[in-house]
Amino acid sequence: MRSFAYVVPDSVAGAVDALAAAEPGTKILAGGTTLYDLMKLGVEAPPAVIDIHRLAELTEISTGEGELSFGAGAKMAEVADHPVVRRDYPALSESLWRAASQQLRNMATVGGNLLQRTRCGYFRGGAEFGCNKRDPGSGCAALEGLDRTHALLGASDACIATYPGDWAVALIAFDAELDVVGPRGERTLPLGDLHVEPGDNPVLEHTLAADELILRIRVPATPAGRGSTYHKIRDRESYAFALTSAAAAVTLDAQGTVTDCRIGLGGVATRPWRATAAERSLLGEQLTMGTARHAGEVAFADARPVRTGAFRVELGIRTVTDALLTAGKQAAR
Amino acid sequence: MKTPDLGRVDAHEKVTGTASYGADRVPDDLAYAMFAVATIGKGRTVSIDTAAAEAVPGVRLVLTRFDEDELRGPGFLMGGGFAFQSLQPLLSDVVAYRGQPIALIVADTLVAATEAADLVRARYEIEPFAVGIDDEGATSVLQEEALPWFPDVKVGDAETAYAASPVQIDETYLHPAQHQVPMELISSVVQWKGDRLVVHESTQNAGALRHGVAAQLNLDPADVDVISPYIGGGFGSRNALQPHIGPLALAARRLRRPVKLVIPRRQTFHTGSFRPVSRHRIRLGADPSGRLLAALHDADHQTSRHDLYPAMYTEITSRLYAVPNFGGRQRLVQTDVQTPGFMRAPNEGPASFAFESAVDVLAYATGQDPVELRLANDTATDPVTGLPFSSRHLAQCLTRGAERFGWQKRDPRPGSMRAADGSLVGLGVAVGAHPVLVAPAVARMSAGADGRVTVGVDGHEMGQGIRSAIALLVAQDLGVPVQDVVVRVGDTRVAPQHLTAGAWGTATALPAVHKALRELRKRLGAGDTGTVEVAAAVRATGHGSPEVEVTSVGPGQPPEMLDRSRAGLFSAAGPVFPDFTAFSWAAHFVEVRIEATTRRIRVPRALCVADCGRVASPVTAASQVRGGVIWGISEALRESSEVDPRFGGFLNTTLEEYPVAVNADIAEIDFDFIDEPDLLLSEVGVKGLGELTMIGVAAAVANAVFHATGQRQNRLPIRIEDVM
Amino acid sequence: MMKTSPTAGRPAGLVETAFTVNGEQVRFELDPRESLLDVLRERLVLTGTKKGCDQGHCGACTVHIDGRRVVSCLTPAVQVAGRDVTTIEGVAAPDGTLHPLQQAFVDCDALQCGYCTPGQVMSGLACLAEGHTETDGDIREYMSGNLCRCGAYIGITAAIRRVADQTKQTEV
Repeated sequence: MRSFAYVVPDSVAGAVDALAAAEPGTKILAGGTTLYDLMKLGVEAPPAVIDIHRLAELTEISTGEGELSFGAGAKMAEVADHPVVRRDYPALSESLWRAASQQLRNMATVGGNLLQRTRCGYFRGGAEFGCNKRDPGSGCAALEGLDRTHALLGASDACIATYPGDWAVALIAFDAELDVVGPRGERTLPLGDLHVEPGDNPVLEHTLAADELILRIRVPATPAGRGSTYHKIRDRESYAFALTSAAAAVTLDAQGTVTDCRIGLGGVATRPWRATAAERSLLGEQLTMGTARHAGEVAFADARPVRTGAFRVELGIRTVTDALLTAGKQAAR
Repeated sequence: MKTPDLGRVDAHEKVTGTASYGADRVPDDLAYAMFAVATIGKGRTVSIDTAAAEAVPGVRLVLTRFDEDELRGPGFLMGGGFAFQSLQPLLSDVVAYRGQPIALIVADTLVAATEAADLVRARYEIEPFAVGIDDEGATSVLQEEALPWFPDVKVGDAETAYAASPVQIDETYLHPAQHQVPMELISSVVQWKGDRLVVHESTQNAGALRHGVAAQLNLDPADVDVISPYIGGGFGSRNALQPHIGPLALAARRLRRPVKLVIPRRQTFHTGSFRPVSRHRIRLGADPSGRLLAALHDADHQTSRHDLYPAMYTEITSRLYAVPNFGGRQRLVQTDVQTPGFMRAPNEGPASFAFESAVDVLAYATGQDPVELRLANDTATDPVTGLPFSSRHLAQCLTRGAERFGWQKRDPRPGSMRAADGSLVGLGVAVGAHPVLVAPAVARMSAGADGRVTVGVDGHEMGQGIRSAIALLVAQDLGVPVQDVVVRVGDTRVAPQHLTAGAWGTATALPAVHKALRELRKRLGAGDTGTVEVAAAVRATGHGSPEVEVTSVGPGQPPEMLDRSRAGLFSAAGPVFPDFTAFSWAAHFVEVRIEATTRRIRVPRALCVADCGRVASPVTAASQVRGGVIWGISEALRESSEVDPRFGGFLNTTLEEYPVAVNADIAEIDFDFIDEPDLLLSEVGVKGLGELTMIGVAAAVANAVFHATGQRQNRLPIRIEDVM
Repeated sequence: MMKTSPTAGRPAGLVETAFTVNGEQVRFELDPRESLLDVLRERLVLTGTKKGCDQGHCGACTVHIDGRRVVSCLTPAVQVAGRDVTTIEGVAAPDGTLHPLQQAFVDCDALQCGYCTPGQVMSGLACLAEGHTETDGDIREYMSGNLCRCGAYIGITAAIRRVADQTKQTEV
């Protein structure tokens, strides 16, 4: 690992100042589970890190009327076990506790987790593998390589790396928003506007400016929260990234007709993926095996299967189907 | 005599973190080492730029080349040498495989060594390479021609008998490369004390380390101590000298400082051995009732360019059943990798997956129940040699297992059984066998006036519980509390420390300990049986602490085998002994459930019934069974070392990308032991257990998946996409 | 006040860091690159905490920081300034009496080679404290961050189950 300067601000304002004054490439360190790991691998080599993990201002959680609010520095484990989140938004809780291990969830923050970087083996593997995300212009080794877990949606000729996170997939289904802060003050953006597809510049993964940091994540209250689930299919039962995953939330009227539907896809796309066409396909319908499956097919209509990962299109459709049916059962409780 | 249920004698050290593994030493003035490794699939280093590495503050040495006079080749374990492969890195510019060390860095701190290793840059001349057994450039040789001392098994005229058989099964199976990935990283602390070299390394073969590094550095082996009281998992990965020891010892000598090396997890996928890829064509000829008339087993087996790592698949597949005609043919395929080697059930795991899958095909082809078909083909004599088996309770394993597992409730029609949640249910069976090998051993035993008995013996404690089995034997024999027995294993200062592997550790150590007990009793003036009041008996002798030393060899082994063992060379023998052939046996029953939609394959329950002779230590044996079955499940459903042919080497070199079973993968694992001592083999009657418990599990899983789905699985691991 | 290490070019300076380990105050000049795991093992010679991957994939290095389980390999040691770190060496009573969970590991033979065991015990203690022990399925899920290559999972689950049940009985 390259050496770096270690900066510990004592307030968010101090962090913003430090970031503004820092050398280019300076990184924010929160839980460290992605950044410190990538620094060990030599994928990241910031000249300085600004450690914000102690800033109590960033750790507040509120579940009052109208919205849920999670400070960016709150730990994944804490939010996963929050009783209101568990009861009213099972998809959010499940997306967290089905990610990583409890040790890592005790370290990683809900803000940092949004920006978790891909687990593509060629990205993490070292300089000998071409990777446009790590080393622009060096090519994409995955395109002709071991691509069993690479992206089916949102990929480009420059990059097919899968966005690995779960939490953002559930959040995007609930129209979450972010409050961010920088030298120009605070601003709010929809989570859906945070991540970008790789296009011809896979280095760019999100729309935050280099001098901005995430303050909190806000989720508008919705009755669809209760009728929700996060379904995650992995190569083993736990402690693995998704082959396919789906966040699903539905609201049903007294006749069982779907009046609201949210679907997020994980493990299959270059960014947290909102399947809006699939959501629309269910509105006004009864939720049955047939309509749920149809929604899954719509969700993957644009999937561009990579070679050894092609089975994940059908697996993804079935994951969405099962998630919707589970969400429907939750909603009908 | 049944062994009482006593616990693991070193559990206290393990739960308190005081058990000391290879890297758990921090001597004064310690320096830290790290390798830089080759990033090409094959070729030569044209130049290695170490300037940036040398400029890192705290870096003391950057070594890219040793002189052949100061560092000799170690020799290949299976070719009369000491190491997992003959190739010693840092002796030439040759890069034989991706991940081969090209520089050794030693620094005052670990961060400095690590940073410097990342800064080493090499220019290469790249040559074409082949990693897969079917890749262009892979070359193959027939094993019986290349290694006549590892002949293929051939009985009768299998081709003719197969051709004449009314029922013919012809299936081909592919087993992937896999890595042992013990939890403890490959690591050492080496230290010179004057001219004496002390190596702390978790190894299954302290003897080969001692003699190997002595030969490499031109030292007297008597001046080398290797200390390995605990091993954080071996599974074959630590069964020989590893190529880092020599360079590390030389670096320590130059710096006059102790040096520690902990090889990063990623590098371990290339710096040690692995289970090679193998392909098995199995042909079975049978009569319409399923009685076997012929079996042919053709295997392709990956090895490296620089060593011929032998295949021994047909050793067990020729013995599972009464097959009058057996034709084995094993081909070695040379590829550009580090030399593959032993991984728990190295031959028997893949061989049983292939053969026992084919036997299941035969059962369906002949309309026989898979358990009944196996019982009908049972044999009491070794079909290969005609000798009796020293013991074979395989039929009992099958019948007892079928009863216990509820096999009768199985509807044999594929896809016929469903769980309440709609999951497909499959029940599968398969058998396993493991050759009994025994090695020479030296045991030293002493009794103290405090009543404690100390025993030092050949053997290494790697979790299988050898320390417990030895302590139990001594405690029971003398009638002393087990806490009063001190066991020293894995230490070249007390015994030669021959390789502990192949499940022979306990079967090798216990006869020597048993013999030492007889001698100690004489010295204590005690009878050959009955409780001994050790403290009183010691005082009565009137001279200090009586100490005895005995040696033992396997049945029919000449005493000269001890000389080989004392020289650090491989000296195990079996499974064919002068008067009998010895195997341990097991029957495995597995239930799988496959989700109706997303097709995740789960194993809610498994049963292993094992014939391992006398159960030497019931508590640790139970854990051995559970662990072995978990290995089999992981082998069948999880593990594969992946290759990207453009780059060479292995790609999924982390514990994230190489998925071993986690806690949530494991549900109920039941077991039963036949527990009949094999007294032909030795007075203690112990056969092997540690590997046996996984042999056949993968086939039982694959057969259960077939039963659940109607789809045969001829390739491991079986993953979601295989049952969609 | 902002604390910062000197930033005038590389190499960056050392950071004075104080924290407690098993109740004892320690203080070091740390290179910010050093992991808590390496500081525990190489500087404090608390070698019960094991390195199995150094990448957060195995759990062998699990320790508690302010009572919560974390992997020490992915924890920069400078981050634990002012925190209380507990390692396996701090679990048994000062007189050597095993913690009930350690004893349950012994009684259930929840180990083989023993290398992952300190991490399993630390993780198991936290699993109990968190209350993720309602069902065996919960225990398995919340213990899945600790790999055991020997395959002692059944014993590990049984050991935690035993202590959870004892605790429940005591509470009733």
